Amino acid sequence: MDWIMILGKAFWCGWGALGFGILFNVPPRTLFAIWIGGAMGGFLKFGLLQLSAGVVLASFAGALVIGFSSIPIAHIRHVPPMIFAIPSVIPLIPGVFAYRTMLGMMKLTGTIGPDYNQVLAETANNGAKALFIIMSLAVGVAVPMHLMRKESVKNVRLIKRK
Amino acid sequence: MSQEQNNEAKELGSLLLDVGVYLLSSGASCSRIRITMRRLATSSDYTTHISIAPKSVSLTLNDEDDNAIFSGMRTILAQGVNFKTISGISRLSWEAVEKGFSIQQVRDELNRLIALPHYPRLIVLIFVGLAGAGFCFGFGGKAPEMIITFGATVCGLFVRQEAVKHKFNPYICVFMGSLVASLFAGAFVKAGLDINFEHAFATSVLFLIPGVPLINAFTDLIDGNILNGLVRGINALMFALAIALGLLAAMLIYNLK
Repeated sequence: MDWIMILGKAFWCGWGALGFGILFNVPPRTLFAIWIGGAMGGFLKFGLLQLSAGVVLASFAGALVIGFSSIPIAHIRHVPPMIFAIPSVIPLIPGVFAYRTMLGMMKLTGTIGPDYNQVLAETANNGAKALFIIMSLAVGVAVPMHLMRKESVKNVRLIKRK
Repeated sequence: MSQEQNNEAKELGSLLLDVGVYLLSSGASCSRIRITMRRLATSSDYTTHISIAPKSVSLTLNDEDDNAIFSGMRTILAQGVNFKTISGISRLSWEAVEKGFSIQQVRDELNRLIALPHYPRLIVLIFVGLAGAGFCFGFGGKAPEMIITFGATVCGLFVRQEAVKHKFNPYICVFMGSLVASLFAGAFVKAGLDINFEHAFATSVLFLIPGVPLINAFTDLIDGNILNGLVRGINALMFALAIALGLLAAMLIYNLK
């Protein structure tokens, strides 16, 4: 997978984010920012994967960048940060791992054959990856909001007025 | 306490409760609901006590002597995620504080915000379909899988919207969407097309993922709203199970392994 492919994936991640933005009925003025956010998260994730980082770490880095960039965008566009962050982070959701986990679980309900251990190991691996990626996405988006909220520009303005 | 003051407290309390339930049913996190309600109450002299349950918001307003002068509770409306409402109310709360809106002005503005239209249905279908195709590419799909995922997503979302319109149980709505989307994707696999069906299958149902409850669950847990966080998390899990069930049913029907 070369860098052109990564840019292509980032481009489509942007569309994924935009589609979810429209599904969640975001204000039109945030659509472009959501596209950029999705593409940025996708670029970071697939770029780090290319540099042979783990998939959990790569997803976490993508979510963290989206989370931190959601704060300035929230102030520029006058929206709460989550409106930008939640649609942007959705393309990073580990759909394939979750799917494989589910299929593996179904196989595990069958009889114990020679390849049972293999299926068990793969299912546990896919499940752990899916779970940790989802947790890292949620943390990556939620934590920046909490770190930066105390110094919200608007709060400062309000306190000065009083 | 004069009658006038009493009426004002009633109006303010009722407005705050409306704001709270609209935010809760549009998918805002608990801390955002609290912040917004408190912000709208800053211009008054009352102290607010807010309790947010998974499906209702309660509020008590106390005056300077700490006597409760308004107590109320409101349950949420059945309504999907709507970020336009959340951002609109957030913006309104700032404007109201900075420009000193009266309660009636805030109420009028709130009614205007609630009535704002959604994106046209066709636009939603097309863009969510594109999102599905985008996911498919991200997971390593090629053009044929992307086109199939686009079609599956559009069909699945259409069915889900119809099911929601007919007021089915929300999990059953998601199950129907998932079943139809994976039946669509599976038909091409069954027809013997040389495609990687894992990509088409796994990404055709991704438009149903409960992203907002999932992330709000963690936001609430981090904030210490443990109960709300758990409820949202389990809600997200139920949606995920409904998706998986739809997918499995389609695979069973097509006898795919």
